[in-house]
Amino acid sequence: MQNQVRVEARNIALSYGTTPVLRDVNLVIEPGEFFALLGPSGSGKSTLLRLIAGFNQAQSGQILIGGEDVSRIPPWKRNVGMVFQNYALWPHMSVWQNVAFGLEERRLPKGVIAQKVAAALALVSLSDYAKRRPSQLSGGQQQRVALARTIAIEPNVLLLDEPLSNLDAKLRLHMRDELRQLQRSLGITTIFVTHDQEEAMTTAARIAVMDQGVIQQVGTPMDLFDNPVNRFVANFVGSINLLPGSIRASAPPLRVVSPVLGEFSLPQLAQVPPAGAIEVGFRPHAVVLKAVDAPRDGEHVWLQGTVNDYEFLGEFVRYHIGLEQGSMVADQPHRAGHAPFARASRVAIGIPPAEMRLIGD
Amino acid sequence: MAIKHRAVSRRTRLVSACLFGLACAATLPAQAQQVLSIVTSFPKDLTAVYKKAFEARNPGITVEILNKGTSAGVAFVREAPDGNKPDVFWASAPDAFEVLANEKLLQKFDGANKAVPAKVGDYPINDPEGLYYGQALAGYGIMWNTRYMKANKLPEPKEWADLAKPVYFNHVAISSPSRSGTTHLTVETILQGEGWNEGWRQMLQIGGNCAAITERSFGVPDGVNNGQFGLGLVIDFFGLSAKSSGFPVEFVYPSVTAIVPANIGLIANAKNAELGKRFISFTLSPEGQQLLFDAKISRLPVLPAMYEKAPAGYPNPFGGKITAKVKFDSDLSRSRYYVVNSMFDHTVTFRHKELVAATKAINDAAAKLAGKPNAKAEALLNEARKVAYSPVVGEERARDKEFLSLYSASKRDALKTKQLTALEEEWGSQARKNYARAQELAGQAAALAR
Amino acid sequence: MATAESAGGAVAAPAGGAGLQGAVALAIAAFLLIFLIVPVGTVIYVAFANPDGGLTLAHFGSFFQLSLMRESFWNSLYVAAASVVFASLIALPLAYFTARFQFRGALLIQTLGVLPLIMPPFVGAVAMQLVFGRSGSLNLLLNDWLGITLPIMDGLNGVIFVEALHYFPFILMNLIVALNNIDSAMEESAQNLGSSGMRLFRRIVFPLAMPGYVAGASLVFVKVFDDLGTPLVLNTTNMLAPQAYLRITSIGIEDPVGYVISVLMIVFSLFALWASALALRGRDYATLQRGGSTLGKRRLKPWQSLLAYGWIAFVLLLVLSPHLGILLLSFAKVWSFSVLPDAYTLEHYATLYHDSPRMIGNTLLYCGLAAGLDVVLGTAIAYLMLRSRLPLRRSLDFMASAALAIPGVVLAIGYLRTFRNVEIPFSGELLTSSWILLMLAYTVRRLPYALRSCVAALQQLHVSLEEAAENLGAGKRRTIQRIVVPLMAGGMLAGFVTSFMTAAVELSATIMLTTSQSAAPMSYGIYLYMQSAAGRGPGAALGVLAVLLVALGTYLSHRFLRSRAAELETRM
Repeated sequence: MQNQVRVEARNIALSYGTTPVLRDVNLVIEPGEFFALLGPSGSGKSTLLRLIAGFNQAQSGQILIGGEDVSRIPPWKRNVGMVFQNYALWPHMSVWQNVAFGLEERRLPKGVIAQKVAAALALVSLSDYAKRRPSQLSGGQQQRVALARTIAIEPNVLLLDEPLSNLDAKLRLHMRDELRQLQRSLGITTIFVTHDQEEAMTTAARIAVMDQGVIQQVGTPMDLFDNPVNRFVANFVGSINLLPGSIRASAPPLRVVSPVLGEFSLPQLAQVPPAGAIEVGFRPHAVVLKAVDAPRDGEHVWLQGTVNDYEFLGEFVRYHIGLEQGSMVADQPHRAGHAPFARASRVAIGIPPAEMRLIGD
Repeated sequence: MAIKHRAVSRRTRLVSACLFGLACAATLPAQAQQVLSIVTSFPKDLTAVYKKAFEARNPGITVEILNKGTSAGVAFVREAPDGNKPDVFWASAPDAFEVLANEKLLQKFDGANKAVPAKVGDYPINDPEGLYYGQALAGYGIMWNTRYMKANKLPEPKEWADLAKPVYFNHVAISSPSRSGTTHLTVETILQGEGWNEGWRQMLQIGGNCAAITERSFGVPDGVNNGQFGLGLVIDFFGLSAKSSGFPVEFVYPSVTAIVPANIGLIANAKNAELGKRFISFTLSPEGQQLLFDAKISRLPVLPAMYEKAPAGYPNPFGGKITAKVKFDSDLSRSRYYVVNSMFDHTVTFRHKELVAATKAINDAAAKLAGKPNAKAEALLNEARKVAYSPVVGEERARDKEFLSLYSASKRDALKTKQLTALEEEWGSQARKNYARAQELAGQAAALAR
Repeated sequence: MATAESAGGAVAAPAGGAGLQGAVALAIAAFLLIFLIVPVGTVIYVAFANPDGGLTLAHFGSFFQLSLMRESFWNSLYVAAASVVFASLIALPLAYFTARFQFRGALLIQTLGVLPLIMPPFVGAVAMQLVFGRSGSLNLLLNDWLGITLPIMDGLNGVIFVEALHYFPFILMNLIVALNNIDSAMEESAQNLGSSGMRLFRRIVFPLAMPGYVAGASLVFVKVFDDLGTPLVLNTTNMLAPQAYLRITSIGIEDPVGYVISVLMIVFSLFALWASALALRGRDYATLQRGGSTLGKRRLKPWQSLLAYGWIAFVLLLVLSPHLGILLLSFAKVWSFSVLPDAYTLEHYATLYHDSPRMIGNTLLYCGLAAGLDVVLGTAIAYLMLRSRLPLRRSLDFMASAALAIPGVVLAIGYLRTFRNVEIPFSGELLTSSWILLMLAYTVRRLPYALRSCVAALQQLHVSLEEAAENLGAGKRRTIQRIVVPLMAGGMLAGFVTSFMTAAVELSATIMLTTSQSAAPMSYGIYLYMQSAAGRGPGAALGVLAVLLVALGTYLSHRFLRSRAAELETRM
């Protein structure tokens, strides 16, 4: 295990001309953590990554790596390994030369370099491809060369810029596992940029969701999923139904009123937005669907709707349901022999209050 | 898609229409005026004066001057289609006119000014066949840059032989006789004046003193004007006109020199032969000759009477003062023209570095020996001089008809090419060997002087 | 080249495309045949001819008999190789600093950096002598101060000095384009792995810019190897090109050996270009993304920028001193054996004003058309060569490049001979007496320059960018128009500028093919003036105008390109 370092961003602001790209970004990534920056393109996540690598200069704020302010250290002295989105393998060098490059730049003895290159290539199972040129490799192999090239220098921090985006679906799953295992075995602080929430949730221990240059929320995947702080996070991390409503009484018990759902009380919530117009959110898989005439229990909040359409997705059936006002989505687990609700049929929808979140504007 | 394609093709059509329009515009200027076209190697300073005077005298005629340099000019005349050739060829080099005459590219016409004498010195002014006429006279002389001479503390030269003196080492420039007809005549004058062996001895010594052998004859006066060379062998008007343009230069005629005509001739199958004739007659008339006195031109008229009106101090080749003392044999000169040029190139121009090294070694040794006489060293040094400054072809052979006939044909077959290149190789390697040997001998002599 | 080979299967054109490509290839081949091969053939066949009309190789035997020729060959080779080395030393820092660092005046430096290519004939030589010559300003000063002189302009080393100063812009321009085409991630990943400074340049940047560098360097090599003017004005005759020239232009002699030298020079030049192409083979230089826009220019530390500016100032002063010399000369009354002219005057420009306003327009017209044609031909040849599967596609490149080794006077004589009595359609005027022939001579002589730039630009363009366009429904022609040409624009512009500026100072064919003063370009005017002592001032003034004109054109085209690039960026 290498010495693990903490990466910290303090009050980072960066703009290109008059366009702000990062606004007051504060972030702490713990030593050895596998951390993801998640956001749509243009959210500033790649810029933040390049800032850590030293390719961008922030107008204000600091980047600390292992407690040391690196803002003035050039990229080549940071010992921060980065894997580029398009891998950036040098076409004029063989695989072996590509991997050896960083070690040579560190003026290591020839024998040591040979040993470390061999080890790095073995780690990504490419020992037999050392003599090839990058153009002779498949996408997945190129990706692994890029990875081997980066970890060969034993960086303090590993940065991955959309590392899986150029791979096909199957390979992506495979590489995801490999990345996770590799990170676990190396124990290296790793920051991973992606726009794919599934990729982020399955690999990272913690995630920062970014939008428009601002960190919206930081947390474990489950935390983000269960307690999104705003509409953007709620929408971006998993899918959610949002119905309009307002808070009637903030003091417990919390009373919420909604034109579709009626008035009901909620148990203690992690976050309560200030009183006023809000949205009531709940995940599609959390609801229960029943025939309109079936008996309803008192644990759910019930409402009625019409099945507009449904999709069969194997593990579950996704219903698109029209309500009196607006629409919603409900996922129902599928079991063999169960017939789905027919299109145009009326259904009763039960929502457990514990699954409801209140999201402010 | 289809629409866009049409747009593209419209653009291409537009481009081609533009091109066509340009082409038409270029060809349009309809020639309401008669155009006289003259191919010349003379500078603008000269031609502009004649153009202006002739056009003033002949309204409706435009003089088109095509300045091409001698060699390009000859080729241009040769390649131009019959009936559309330029009208007049006007240049210094007599050899160019001989080539044109040989290729039947010149047209005889009776335009000589009877007042022009048959010869200047021993050189015929007009072509005996009447194909071209001497239009101005030019003498070869020495030109120097006064600032350069002062800075390097050099004495002013008077004769060709002066240029062979060690004091001028690395200060002289000369153009190659194969590139400049007048340089060739100067070389030939020296050869005829001093005799073959002595003449070559002098030429090789001068060559050894040269900082450069230039490819163009104007390269010499140009370099002297710059101060790049101290002195140079030039045609008089280069020196005179440079001086009149304000350059710090001086010019003298040595007592042994060549005075030769610069010529003008009517081109055969020309477009406007009549205009050509009129122009040639004009240049030979007193009016045309008077123009030569223009400071930027500074050439010598062929009409002796003109010198009465010459500016003060203007040299007069007919006055006896600068008459060539050599009895110039132009047949001899013609017969060995290519031999002399080729010898010069292969022993001086192309072996210049080695010749200079040998000369330097000889000069150094001589300087060392100056204070302390040493018979053995003296002998070695004389041997070195002899080896370095002897022509690679003896006088006998230079007269051999069979040997000279090798050079006579203008087109060369495989055998002749082979023989000629064999000679070139022989001369070149002999010269190289000679210079190396001379350097070695001079070195030995210098060593003995210690 | 590897790009075309490796991706060949993917770009194999559908039958229709191949037909069109074939037609274009035939048209280009016909153009080169009519305006290069045949005219040159009519002159150069002498190398293989006996006067009786038979063919022979015996003249080649005669050539090899001469030890002077072997010496000349080695001298030419030495001069060409050494010139490439020195030209690279000048060009590399200029290109790298201005393309990779935040540099005030980068555009100005890049523009000034190409000025040396416009060395007006004869004036340039005189100015060089006045500055660097035996009695030039530099040596006069050195002699005053230190009592020494430097033989900068003497012998082969003088030729190398002048050639390197003259032709390094070929490397500079191609290198800048190549540097801008490198994917930024390529360099960033190297920095990320701990590389910086010289090592980054040597190990990553330079190898990736190789196609551009080789394009420039091979051009310099061949150009210097074949160059005639510089050795002649420096009075160095023991090199191949002057030897050929002296023999070809001897009055009254058809010396076959001169033409043998020409033939061998063509062969050797093509061999050199082929070898340089071979050096790049088997390597993939194409990058998917174009950098430039995304690559943040690095900031130099104060001491670094002091050093860089100092070095660049020194280099620019060195390479532009001939131009300063021409400028001084154009204002000088008399300048002879002195550090600076004796007195100054404006009268030379006044002379010009009366004499030659038309020449400027003519130069713009001829050189503009010629350079435009060159870029069109160059792009087409590059595309056919790298992207089509036509048989013999490389031969177009070889044919066009052969023009490098052909002395202007040979081409010109060939034109006069081949097109004798040929009339321009509908006008009745002879082709040989119109300026069109001169313009075509420029086109053919300068085509290799434009071609090398276009080839390098296309080599760096990954074929998938075109495939993407085709995939989205663009035909071959639309793909070329909308994808290839815009992305090659930098290289094409470099080609245009090189062709234009070098055509503007072309002399040998100009003298031969100028048939009237009204149709004469500036280079002819300069030549005319420089034939006499009194014409030196006006000649220099005309030279200054030529330099300014071409410099302005270069600057404007750079500006244009920049604004286009900026436009593209904002649109994205």
